[in-house]
Amino acid sequence: MPREPNAVDFWRGFALITIFIDHVPGLLYSQYTMTNYSLSDAADLFVFLAGWSMRLMADGEGRSMPTRLVMLRLFGRALELYAAQVLITMIAIAMLALSAIELSNPLLLEWHNASAVFNDPVPTHIGLAILTHQLGYFDILPLYVVLMLMAPFFALVDRIAPLWVLPVSFAIYFVALAFQITLPTWPVSGTWFFDPLAWQFTFVLGFVLARGDRGVGAWARRNIGWLRLIALPIVVAAMYAAHFNHLWDPTNVPSPKLFFLLDKAYATPPRLIQFLALVAVFSAAFPYIRRAAAAPWVGRAVMGLIDLLAMLGRNSLYVFCIGSLLSLSAQIVRYYGRGSVGSDTAVLILGVLIMAATAWIAESRRRARKPAHAA
Amino acid sequence: MDRRIATTRTKACARGLALALALAASAQQAPAQPVPAPLTKACQPGNASISEDNPLPNVAAALAQRKTLRILAMGAAPGRISRHGGGYTEVIEAMLQGALKGVNVVLINRGISGELAASAAVRMKIEVALDDPDLVLWQVGTNDALAFVPVDSFIATVKDQIDWLRAHNVDVALVGLQFAPEMLRDAHYKELREALRKLAAQEKVIIIRFFEAMQIINQAAGKEPVSEQFERDEAGYNCLAQYVAHAITLGTFAKAGLPRREPTPPGK
Repeated sequence: MPREPNAVDFWRGFALITIFIDHVPGLLYSQYTMTNYSLSDAADLFVFLAGWSMRLMADGEGRSMPTRLVMLRLFGRALELYAAQVLITMIAIAMLALSAIELSNPLLLEWHNASAVFNDPVPTHIGLAILTHQLGYFDILPLYVVLMLMAPFFALVDRIAPLWVLPVSFAIYFVALAFQITLPTWPVSGTWFFDPLAWQFTFVLGFVLARGDRGVGAWARRNIGWLRLIALPIVVAAMYAAHFNHLWDPTNVPSPKLFFLLDKAYATPPRLIQFLALVAVFSAAFPYIRRAAAAPWVGRAVMGLIDLLAMLGRNSLYVFCIGSLLSLSAQIVRYYGRGSVGSDTAVLILGVLIMAATAWIAESRRRARKPAHAA
Repeated sequence: MDRRIATTRTKACARGLALALALAASAQQAPAQPVPAPLTKACQPGNASISEDNPLPNVAAALAQRKTLRILAMGAAPGRISRHGGGYTEVIEAMLQGALKGVNVVLINRGISGELAASAAVRMKIEVALDDPDLVLWQVGTNDALAFVPVDSFIATVKDQIDWLRAHNVDVALVGLQFAPEMLRDAHYKELREALRKLAAQEKVIIIRFFEAMQIINQAAGKEPVSEQFERDEAGYNCLAQYVAHAITLGTFAKAGLPRREPTPPGK
């Protein structure tokens, strides 16, 4: 049996659907996602919850494992993510090529950084394999791969000196921002959309905050009341600023500038602080949502929503991969269907249904495998 | 009388000397005379699609003061476009380096393929703060057209961004929509292209009308099978790099007040 719906799976499911919608530029419903009312977006939530899940693994089944086995398991997860990235990238390239041929439009070959794949395949295929060439909107998994390659190191520090995990992570984050250190792209010159050296801090924050018995996680739980009091005005002010675009002029900030800018690539402090404020406020929401599931009128719908999002969250890698390919399909469909309200609604409903079917098949497969193992 | 003539001569000499000194001083401060980046024969037919009458005052000032030109490239960036290596931005950088002798040209590529103008505009402000460019080279419109972004909303975004860049002493050169023969029949694509051209004219901003330039080059090349399309695209981007370098050097000319070629009167 799959685990019961919990807050982590629920919010991860929410992040997956939001990423799917945000990755279809121009989609009518993309005006209503988190990014329009917040300085952070679903990518921050996804990475933070990945760190949180690592804690669940390390302190759950990993607690009884020797350190090297935990490290090996995390490294194995990095390989699994890498394989997923290579697979979906190749499928995406094939989708673009097929669409260009079927719709007789060579412009589709140049979409989302695919131009180099077709025009200069020799070095670009090396770039695809070593993750220095990423298709547009297929750039979260490469970040996740690097984070999982760093994860064994953080797991080791956590075993030896748990209170040092956050300071070490912060030091890397600080240096990355102070000197604008990021990973380069190749063969097309540029930089990674997400800087792993900066984003690892969001990941590690999830990892340390998930621990309830000591450290920052325990402190946050003890003080959650007044933390929410501080967080609420930040969330409300950010909502206003993001929605009405009332943001400060980035050229007027002092040096080192990245510490004061709202830069997604480096998960800069203003963005991160607002995200942590969101976490503090919305960490109270899930118990209320569960309680609403018992209400007489809307209860069934709320329960259905909880089950759906939690199921997506439990199977996040499969759903993320399918979601990425669905986003690209949706862009092609929108181009073909000329982006009407009807086609946008169909894209949204079909997309969520296919993501749900993917999660359901993955869970059915696991259920079918378990009795076979038991036998 | 003689004294008066002598005094006048002395004054004239002094004025002349002062003028000569001022000219010498200004010649020392002035940027290296920009020579327009050349266009290869294959790319010359498409040259008519570049609006090159708009000056780049911040580029000219940067050349005069620092001998360094910092260009921020935004928008879709194609891969390597030359057989001997080098991407679109590297080719532009090398061409400008050749045309602007003694100037250090730094081209920072922050293009993200598939990004809509509205998202690029938000990111561009941050990149301007971080990279302090003199010129933004913005390839814009294709993704918005393919995503069916309403023309009014697209134009408002680009206009606001041009205004913001000007207010922050940054010049802008636009690169218009990409070419594909199939898009000639696409009404939305055409409308967006035309609106961008009008905006650039109204705002007196350099625009390289990539679509029109490629259309001319393709007409000259004739209809070719799809397998040759890739090579044609590669050649197209090579021409685009030349147009960009050409337009930037001419924009600098405009600021320097150098004599420009007058159009030939009709009938001559």
